[in-house]
Amino acid sequence: MNPLLELREIRAAYDGITALHGVDLRVGAGQVVALLGPNGAGKTTTLRVAAGVHPAESGRLLLGGRDLTGADPRDLARAGVCLIPEGRGVFPNLSVRDNLLMMTFTGRSREQVEEVAFARFPILAKRATQTAGTLSGGEQQMLALARGLATDPAVLLLDELSMGLAPLIVAELYEQVAEIARQGVAVLVVEQFAAAVLDIADHAAVMVRGRIERHGRPDDGLRTELSALYLGSST
Amino acid sequence: MTSTETRADRFVRELAELKIPDPAAGRAALWLRLGVALMAAGLVLGASAYFMSHGTRDPLVQRDALALALGGVSAAVVGSALFLRYSLTGFLRFWMARQSYDLTQLADRLLERDIRHELNGNDTASR
Repeated sequence: MNPLLELREIRAAYDGITALHGVDLRVGAGQVVALLGPNGAGKTTTLRVAAGVHPAESGRLLLGGRDLTGADPRDLARAGVCLIPEGRGVFPNLSVRDNLLMMTFTGRSREQVEEVAFARFPILAKRATQTAGTLSGGEQQMLALARGLATDPAVLLLDELSMGLAPLIVAELYEQVAEIARQGVAVLVVEQFAAAVLDIADHAAVMVRGRIERHGRPDDGLRTELSALYLGSST
Repeated sequence: MTSTETRADRFVRELAELKIPDPAAGRAALWLRLGVALMAAGLVLGASAYFMSHGTRDPLVQRDALALALGGVSAAVVGSALFLRYSLTGFLRFWMARQSYDLTQLADRLLERDIRHELNGNDTASR
């Protein structure tokens, strides 16, 4: 079976400055793929290209085996590609309930959206009337995930889920991500801090300066190589 | 949809059914440029029609100039509409993103202030 998400030789740039130099990546149904690497490696750009938000200069974006390079991100979102951006992307001045209400654009009722969200993250039910900006970082990230799940995604793209969160909360969130993947969703996670995501990832890719330098099972070899990359060694 | 269909199967099916237009990357920019070009062309046509009608006493040529001027006005109107549509979209998108960012910053600042206030309160109480 074709992978649900496939990037082939993707090149992308910002104002003529190349950020991705031919990225290849595949994520199958039910798989968690971790895209790791230091700051400025091009991880977020890869996610943005996968979501159709940033145009690729060359290369192909395939979803479910169909070439959708250059397709409108709204079409991709409607089909089931969900990007949860860095910084959570919740509306801080709206309540949790209203944040969820925004996701009814997918054609689901408010009750259906809340049912999915509150079943996955019961704490959000308790905070339903609270303004999202006053939630803790972990709760905001749960809300962001819940909003994503409300769209019934087939491909979930997560950017820096762990940013600014305590390790325990991160582990809890990644456990939820693993559970989401077990339901057949293809998950691509971008992370700068690898430890938590490698515990749940089926496959990992290490990105440096716009290129995937190594990929494979998240074993000890990959962890050692990652440490070397972060510490600036050439191993 | 069959009951045994997985989310992945449904995704592939829905993608196959989805009527996705040809790659649209950069199409907005193209329409924007077309809008500007039409506006400019409209002005040029209008001006040329003016000089054309003033340079002759022949009513037939003047009628041609009239038609040309109307074409110019139409081109300018269509061009302005295209320009407004595609420049406003970009502006509003940017404005929304900016608004969202500002609100996040504000919420963070308020939260930080509340926490600091709470901590100060606790300090005073413990003394």
